[in-house]
Amino acid sequence: MKTRRNSDTDIRDFRSPKFYFPLVLVVVLFCIPLVLKDPSWLQFLILIMFYAYLTCSWNIIGGFAGQLSLGHAAYIGIGAYTSTALYLHFGLSPWLGMFVGGVFAALVAVTVGYPCFKLRGAYFALASIAFAEVIRVVTENTYHIGSIEIRGPRGLLLPPLGHSPLAFQFLNKAYYYYIILIMMLIALLVTYRISKTKLGYSLSAIRNSLEAAQSLGVNVARCRVTAAATSAFLTALGGTFYAQLILYIFPEGVMGIIFSCEIAFIAIIGGRGTVFGPILGALIYIPASELTRMYLGGGRLLGIHMVILGIIVMMVMLFQPAGVIKPLRRAYLSFSKRLEKQSQKA
Amino acid sequence: MEIVMQAVISGLLMGAVYGLTALGLTLIFGIMKVINWAHGSFIMIGMFAGYWLWALTGIDPYLGLIIVVPFCFVLGYFVQDILIKPVFKSEVGVREPIGVLMLTAGLWIFLDNFALLLFGAFYRTARTSYTGLTYRIGEILVSAPRLYAFLITIGSAYILYVFLKKTKLGRAIRATGQDRDTASLMGIDIYHIYNISFGIAIAITGMVGALLVPFYYVHPSAGFVFDIRAFIIVVLGGLGSIPGAILGGLLIGLIESVGAQYMTATWTQGIIFGVFLAVLYIRPSGMFGFKQEW
Repeated sequence: MKTRRNSDTDIRDFRSPKFYFPLVLVVVLFCIPLVLKDPSWLQFLILIMFYAYLTCSWNIIGGFAGQLSLGHAAYIGIGAYTSTALYLHFGLSPWLGMFVGGVFAALVAVTVGYPCFKLRGAYFALASIAFAEVIRVVTENTYHIGSIEIRGPRGLLLPPLGHSPLAFQFLNKAYYYYIILIMMLIALLVTYRISKTKLGYSLSAIRNSLEAAQSLGVNVARCRVTAAATSAFLTALGGTFYAQLILYIFPEGVMGIIFSCEIAFIAIIGGRGTVFGPILGALIYIPASELTRMYLGGGRLLGIHMVILGIIVMMVMLFQPAGVIKPLRRAYLSFSKRLEKQSQKA
Repeated sequence: MEIVMQAVISGLLMGAVYGLTALGLTLIFGIMKVINWAHGSFIMIGMFAGYWLWALTGIDPYLGLIIVVPFCFVLGYFVQDILIKPVFKSEVGVREPIGVLMLTAGLWIFLDNFALLLFGAFYRTARTSYTGLTYRIGEILVSAPRLYAFLITIGSAYILYVFLKKTKLGRAIRATGQDRDTASLMGIDIYHIYNISFGIAIAITGMVGALLVPFYYVHPSAGFVFDIRAFIIVVLGGLGSIPGAILGGLLIGLIESVGAQYMTATWTQGIIFGVFLAVLYIRPSGMFGFKQEW
């Protein structure tokens, strides 16, 4: 207990590397679009942060609560469809529609997902797939809700408006970059807060032993519902961002099982249930998949990027099941400790 | 009425194939308590093995079973021994092991796309002499290769059942599934048993693939449809239950085939998932499963 208090005070010490490292990193991230103007590279960075954001949101239920969800694409779809349909039909700005979608996704997570919470391990994973697939099938077979167009498998197309901040559309990729950067930082902050508060400790207690947690008076149902709702809410916001970035959504694209699996893979590669694991996972997975797709994917070597992804996932499971973050954190801690010692000497 | 009967018959024939797929999964699930996510990929491997045997050497897909099934057994044996065992061992004490799930998910992505890399995204079909052949029973038409697949399925499920019930090895496998610590104390080398069970399961799965060759398209991602079905059937029929897997398969085949008469095929998918979720809520142990803690 004493060491924890020590490390907490460390963070408040301005000269400590633990305080200024993340700060420097954030400043650098904010400065990147000032230097980097190429839209395809910006798009690449946006994609990394988008996946990092989604995985952070997933991590609340999949990591901290320890329930391997393979159906998070459902929430992405709900968010994307809600804001887009509201915009197309009522002209409601996606900035507001995004939160309507988030609340809707959280409600779905709590009401429909609630019975799933009693399931464990593999059974929860299977149920979450079925849950996402049911939502996808229903969307694919729905053409109208009242007078609101859904257009079934053909999906929804957002009319391009050029630069129009109110409609969440920008010509310059830098705007999207800043939006997703801020979203990602918020998601990080949320997961960091959760990991340091009672909810986080309760969740990890439940993850380790449900009965022991229950016997110590942890309200299992409430903790899980809170985690699921938060996770769904954040994921749905990401769905709206995706719809506005691509301007076209269709059920298989935003709710497909591949999307759900990718999120879980990123978390596993980085480190499930850690605050920075998702960021690290996205930093490994997206470049590996995008660059190989760009340079090797065309022509003869069909599917090579997925082959590489499969190998990465298997290697991580075989040699570093706690995720890549584990050895890196050790290196980071010893490095920052050395820096600290040096500054103290000086 | 004839249309419904026709749908029932073809649903049952296809359902048996689903059941056999689920049989492999239920064996792994029941004995090792892990999910093999790459199950569909092994169907695909069986398919390509059967297809290339037929295309290159002209060996009939049914005769090719003699080669495909042992090949898949060896493949499964070593996949378990080299890839799954280390992850499995490191998670022995973990309450909710998902390591193997993620490992086999990686294997699924790898195998499907490696096949894509090797064979391309073409839809291949084997046009054997009996591909279009049908038998007529009264007013109902029965496709010959589907009927053969049905008969072989039922036969091999029965053989497996007898093997597990009567032989010494079968008893050892079941004992390991029931309680691996006690089995280990009784002198059973449980990791050897795991290797063998995984090999048998993959052999069955490869057999499904080879049986599909005469009447189904051969494609790198063809196994995926069967993959999801197999998971549903295993839960529906009950974990580790052989009759449950076959009956669950027949049920899913029926829902799919009869349902398609009354609604679009995409809706039947939704109904199958809905049934699955309902079973999970109401009775997670399935139709024939024994009560366990999930």
